Amino acid sequence: MNSDADIVYLDYAATTPVDPRVIDVMTPLFGTGGDFANPSSGHTAGRRAMARVERATGQLAELLGCRESELVWTSGATESDNLAITGAARYRADRGRHLITMPTEHKAVSDVFARLEKQGFEVSWLYPDAAGLLDPAELEAAIRPDTQLVSIMHVNNETGVIQDIEALGAVCRARDVLFHVDAAQSVGKLPLDLGSMPIDLLSTTAHKIYGPKGIGALYVADRPGCHVEPLIFGGGQQGGRRPGTLAVPLIAGFGAAASVAMAEMQQDREHLQALNDRLWQGIRDLAGVVRNGGADCTFPGILNVSIEDVEGESLLLALEPLCVATGSACNSKSQEASPVLRALGRSDLLAQSAVRFSFGRPTTREAVDFAVVRYREAVARLRSIATGLVA
Amino acid sequence: MTSDPYSARVRELFSGAEHAGDLEKPDARVQISEQDVRLALAADIDDDIIVGLRFRAWGCPHLLAAAEAFCRAYEGRPARGLLTFGAAEIMQTLPVPREKLGRILVLEDAVRSLGQSVRVSPDPGKDTD
Repeated sequence: MNSDADIVYLDYAATTPVDPRVIDVMTPLFGTGGDFANPSSGHTAGRRAMARVERATGQLAELLGCRESELVWTSGATESDNLAITGAARYRADRGRHLITMPTEHKAVSDVFARLEKQGFEVSWLYPDAAGLLDPAELEAAIRPDTQLVSIMHVNNETGVIQDIEALGAVCRARDVLFHVDAAQSVGKLPLDLGSMPIDLLSTTAHKIYGPKGIGALYVADRPGCHVEPLIFGGGQQGGRRPGTLAVPLIAGFGAAASVAMAEMQQDREHLQALNDRLWQGIRDLAGVVRNGGADCTFPGILNVSIEDVEGESLLLALEPLCVATGSACNSKSQEASPVLRALGRSDLLAQSAVRFSFGRPTTREAVDFAVVRYREAVARLRSIATGLVA
Repeated sequence: MTSDPYSARVRELFSGAEHAGDLEKPDARVQISEQDVRLALAADIDDDIIVGLRFRAWGCPHLLAAAEAFCRAYEGRPARGLLTFGAAEIMQTLPVPREKLGRILVLEDAVRSLGQSVRVSPDPGKDTD
């Protein structure tokens, strides 16, 4: 049931365990006898470490369909988002200060835009339709002569909704507006060919694809007008775009995870689809249950459901030992209803009852069956306790 | 785990809420509804002693645990105690985080309202003239 003794983990959209094949690549890079040296050093040990970095860069570039020189290593998707959005906005500020994004973005994006608003940039926040999708025509209508950057995530981390980034990117490309994509939830899971897609900047991270935490990457297309100003300084590594000693074991782990993801992408997706269907079939007959995000446009690794007349925090506790995520924003300590679900038109109460089940490579049918039983029991019990109460 | 928002006591009360439900013909019943909380209490009183308490609730785990804790603690006590019930005791013993104070105050309001809705005999230790 891919569980420890006391948990059943269905929160793979939050993070994944490191694949043993990745651990095997990383382990020799930490200690004496391995390629532990600083890859910026010119001596033999340093060159060996740099060779590890170059190999991993090649692996990630192959997965993304881009050139190795177009990748910048970061600490994760949050840093990549910050570097892409702030760096590009500052670089092009003399051309214009209008930016576009959506309220359904991850906080690593939306909070950056909110900060830029306080620094004199103007941000247009575009809302999705009921399925969670942004109409390219709506994006086109929002672009102005002074618009410099659009940021739209590929797969939504809460609902799994897949935006049509090719169509959205084409709108941006036609208007000479930079297009950034937060692809933390899609890299290694959905095919990407950045060499042929109208995407200028793309953020990703290793720990969503069975790689280590603490390492991410930003794709910066090698084309005129596409550049990011650095956020940190000193050292000159990575052409000054993101200086700092390269974390060789983490980078090597990301590269290995990328290779595994590329090789197993199709079978992973079929596995996830079967689990998603199984869970939804097991609970869809419950009165008042709704699926958040259109069924035809969501990544199968995520199933987000809300249910009427059940309080979200109590539902989460009653679901234990299931490890799932709630509809209370990204930060589970917050009682605020998820802006993502509110943007889909859900009421505060319905948004707060949301549970995000997310599946991974190790998830078994038995784990999903357990989740079905647990969810049904929890809903029945909490509804029983609230029977007859008038709102 | 220090990051666990629920104490062992809260978990036990939440999962073992044996007082969730209704009384067949309660001597008193009250309900309070607010945005994040719905709570109903019912009581059977016999000779000024609370012989039965039940609750229904829609709210967070701390509210459900607090309601269960109240029911367990007050069965067998004089009904007059309902009028002086305070949230502070529950807040400390479960415990309940400060940001949930408002929800526990709903319980306090409901309990006192319950006390007012039953015929409570005067405290024999006090001069009622």
